[in-house]
Amino acid sequence: MMARHWWLAVLLSIVPTGLVGQLPDYQSQMTERGLPAALVAEVTAIAADATAAGLPAGSLVDKAIEGWAKRVPQPRIVAALNQFRVRLHAAQQAMIRTGHPEPPGPIVAAAAEAMAQGIDEAQMGEIVDAAQTPASAGHGLRVAAALAAQGIDGDEASAIVVQSMHRGWTDAQLLDLPSFANQMRAQGTPPQQVGQRLMQGGGSMAGAGVSPGMGSRPPGVPPGNPDQSGSGQTRTRRP
Amino acid sequence: MELSDGSVVRRVLDGEVELYRVLVERYRVKFGRHAVALVGDRDAAADAMQEAFIRAYDSLDRCREPDRFGSWFYRILTNQCHDTRDRIRPHADVTEVDPPAADATDAELERSELGRMIDVALDELTPEQREAFVMKHVDGHSYEEMAERTGVGVDALKMRVHRARDTLRQKLGAWL
Amino acid sequence: MSERDRFGANAHRYLDGAPHGDLAPEERREAERLLGAVQAWTEGLEPPTAALDDAVMARIRAKAPRRADRGWRWLVRPQPIRLRPVWVPLAAAAALAFWMLAKPEVGPGPTLATDGAATTVDTVFVRFQLIAPDAQVVSLAGSFSDWTADAYPMTQEDGGVWSITLPLPVGEHQYQFVIDGERWIPDPRSHALVDDGFGGTNSVVIVGPRGVVQS
Repeated sequence: MMARHWWLAVLLSIVPTGLVGQLPDYQSQMTERGLPAALVAEVTAIAADATAAGLPAGSLVDKAIEGWAKRVPQPRIVAALNQFRVRLHAAQQAMIRTGHPEPPGPIVAAAAEAMAQGIDEAQMGEIVDAAQTPASAGHGLRVAAALAAQGIDGDEASAIVVQSMHRGWTDAQLLDLPSFANQMRAQGTPPQQVGQRLMQGGGSMAGAGVSPGMGSRPPGVPPGNPDQSGSGQTRTRRP
Repeated sequence: MELSDGSVVRRVLDGEVELYRVLVERYRVKFGRHAVALVGDRDAAADAMQEAFIRAYDSLDRCREPDRFGSWFYRILTNQCHDTRDRIRPHADVTEVDPPAADATDAELERSELGRMIDVALDELTPEQREAFVMKHVDGHSYEEMAERTGVGVDALKMRVHRARDTLRQKLGAWL
Repeated sequence: MSERDRFGANAHRYLDGAPHGDLAPEERREAERLLGAVQAWTEGLEPPTAALDDAVMARIRAKAPRRADRGWRWLVRPQPIRLRPVWVPLAAAAALAFWMLAKPEVGPGPTLATDGAATTVDTVFVRFQLIAPDAQVVSLAGSFSDWTADAYPMTQEDGGVWSITLPLPVGEHQYQFVIDGERWIPDPRSHALVDDGFGGTNSVVIVGPRGVVQS
């Protein structure tokens, strides 16, 4: 399937009316989390505006819930939401400018993250074009953002993602990249080298010939040693 | 936290009718004097405003830019005010001005007389001149703002305001 | 035309607020008096009272209920419905999907997207660790738990290491550790650190279907 087909399919399948009644119940969600009525009302209004503008309202509501859980004062929460909305709008416009009219909410949210890490809109457009599905596009943008956050140059991070997609990598392989890069960083590899390694196709378990479900450990390090789990996380086999 | 015009409009359209009051209060305060100045009579101006709010409510779904409800409503209100004024006083004469109250102070006298004469003089103006004059001297807009609101050029607006002042000056001749 | 009949161009400029340095004294006096008269008049204008609001609302209430007008909602795109990630029992092998796209041709309501890469989406166990020897209580809070501060208490092991292992859906998550119920800190060893919008920093973990991989 050609890269652009899924985008066109999304465009053509957009129904003008009808899904309004199926919008998630943000009010119950927020009330369950203990947000006071006044804040719920304000956030619901912001969410409704965002939905009307084609922006992912769910992300805004989640952010409000996060702020309340962190005991952020109400005015500060609302201010943060408004700032977030501005960033989402900018991401939406960037997507439109790169030839992707009416970008779906999750793509806008992922693009906003990528922009926050300095990925520019041309690169974001390339990632989206290289993706086979909307889900992959979202993953690609977030992976590029995470790589850039680890110190890899924005251009290079995007190129790594685009290249991987062109090589036919699955989402699973793409999603491995940030932890792979993190491990290298924890072992002292400078970001530039990490980037190079990834560009050469490193970070792909398929590429390394290792079967899924197994990771290799650096030699001489016994399992369970807290110092060795550089990222603080280890993979455990699923039951 | 204050709700934006856009949010209120959308919520009212969604069925939260009571929220319309937010807009009514907001724009009664903002445009109230404008209405009184245009109509020339306080009670009639209140009627005109009420009418304008109802019309705006009835055609709320046709407000193309909910975030700019104010500008959209301003037009509805101004038209309503002109209609009301033309209805209640098609053409007043200076001689019809009421005599001042018996116990008024000199300053109050002068002000009330002046006020009435300005009011009567406004009748001599076209609706466009009257609106331009009120926008300039009651609302305190700059010509640029007025141009943006009305879509009329700055030069044309200046001409209207100047004509309004000329008429005023003629009417107030004895006082100046 | 007498002088009184013609109101000079300069006087108008003065009243318009333009610089009026070279106004003739007579003109200036006239213009100022006119301006004063107008100002006195405007100050005397009393706007309608709040009774107007009551009158308007009474008339509106008397109208037939408005059919909620959705005319402008054509702007609404089908929004992906995100399932709230819930604690999945260890024995469960349920599939959770992130960022499902609604398929309008199927009818109202969200449905699962069936793009190839996502059909085998799973939950994966991820282990979080923090070295905090002086803490009494440490818990994990994140986007997968609506940031509830005490939902996932961590267990203390030897050497002041706190840890927890939990199943997470594939994709990106943000989180922080909560120390003694009060101090919210990010995980310095996470995949990325991002501004949380409230002046703090969130950790990011990106989970693939094979889990978080060690090289």
